Amino acid sequence: MSGRKQKGKAEVRQPGDHDIAGTAMDANRLAGGIAHDLNTILTTIYGYSEMALESLDPSSEAGRSIQKIIEAADRARQLTARLLDLDRKSAEDKQQVKVSDILSDTLRFLMPPARENISLSLKIGSPDLVVEAIPSQLFRVFMNIAVNAFQSMEDGGGSLTVTLDSFIEGEGDKPGKGRTAALISFADTGKGMDEATASAMFEPFFTERGNRGGTGLGMAVVRDIVTEMNGTLKVRSEKGRGTVIDLLIPAMMFGSLPEKS
Amino acid sequence: MAGVMIVEDDAALREMLRDSLEKRKYTVITAADGREAISKFRPSIVDLVITDLLMPEEDGLMVIMKIKEMKPSTRVIAISGGGKAGPGSYLLMASKLGAEHVFSKPFLPSELVQKVKEMLG
Repeated sequence: MSGRKQKGKAEVRQPGDHDIAGTAMDANRLAGGIAHDLNTILTTIYGYSEMALESLDPSSEAGRSIQKIIEAADRARQLTARLLDLDRKSAEDKQQVKVSDILSDTLRFLMPPARENISLSLKIGSPDLVVEAIPSQLFRVFMNIAVNAFQSMEDGGGSLTVTLDSFIEGEGDKPGKGRTAALISFADTGKGMDEATASAMFEPFFTERGNRGGTGLGMAVVRDIVTEMNGTLKVRSEKGRGTVIDLLIPAMMFGSLPEKS
Repeated sequence: MAGVMIVEDDAALREMLRDSLEKRKYTVITAADGREAISKFRPSIVDLVITDLLMPEEDGLMVIMKIKEMKPSTRVIAISGGGKAGPGSYLLMASKLGAEHVFSKPFLPSELVQKVKEMLG
């Protein structure tokens, strides 16, 4: 890697970059947010309606009125489901995703399986880096790499340190010289790999786990998703000392997005 | 009677759930966010925790982890509506952390109360 780490320098986006598709996605996300809040309110409406019905004759005037409230809530529930569906479809599209958010979510998810002899730390140098990605796929990339690191430490223990920094790419880097990228590094102190193993680790069905589980597909999926994002992966490993996996993904700073008119 | 802790940042929903459970004679403790839940949790009183997941301060995932540390036998029900990592991801995470049942909003509170009854016997 011939580029350099940099904090706080942003790629400047041009007016018009935020296109109609982006605006529609924002609207869907807003609709999803409103639907989420309405679903909380609907749960309260259902609850008190059910409680009222417990102490009323359902055929009484008051009982019938409560039934009508529940029917209206059912219609609202169908509406919120449609709004959430729009948001859900957007979530499956590529969108601007804050790397630090997904990274934090992933590591929080992994904390409990970390055994007493494994420690985990996250160091975010550039919290505002944004990449174009499908959030669930980025989550899967981070998850698979971290799980792989945990597995390399499951016998002898150790530590996993994850860092996020901005990086200005240099000559020979993908996607190009001078562009901002997110550099995400996973450094473990596990059993490490020899050169042949390290070069094969992203191949489908490659596994060192034998009968201890694992399909050998996790890291192949990582490679495919990162490639799809025009990113690169680099592995540095030493047998008995640990492994560092660097992900470089084209990015921009959140603060550099243009104001919407 | 068994003790239930409700952790929910929406005041109306929190009070409704409290009313539903107190009506069934459960001892109920409420908290408006994760931090309050962790400070109010009493292992000798609380047998089951119902927690929302997306909340200010400490979120519901942290609540589950801390409470399971303090009293591993605590039963947990998670309630939520989504998250940044994709729909369902937070409820999936809650399950992995030890929530035995998850309810996606909106749900029928009578079904939640029935589940509490089954879990606490």
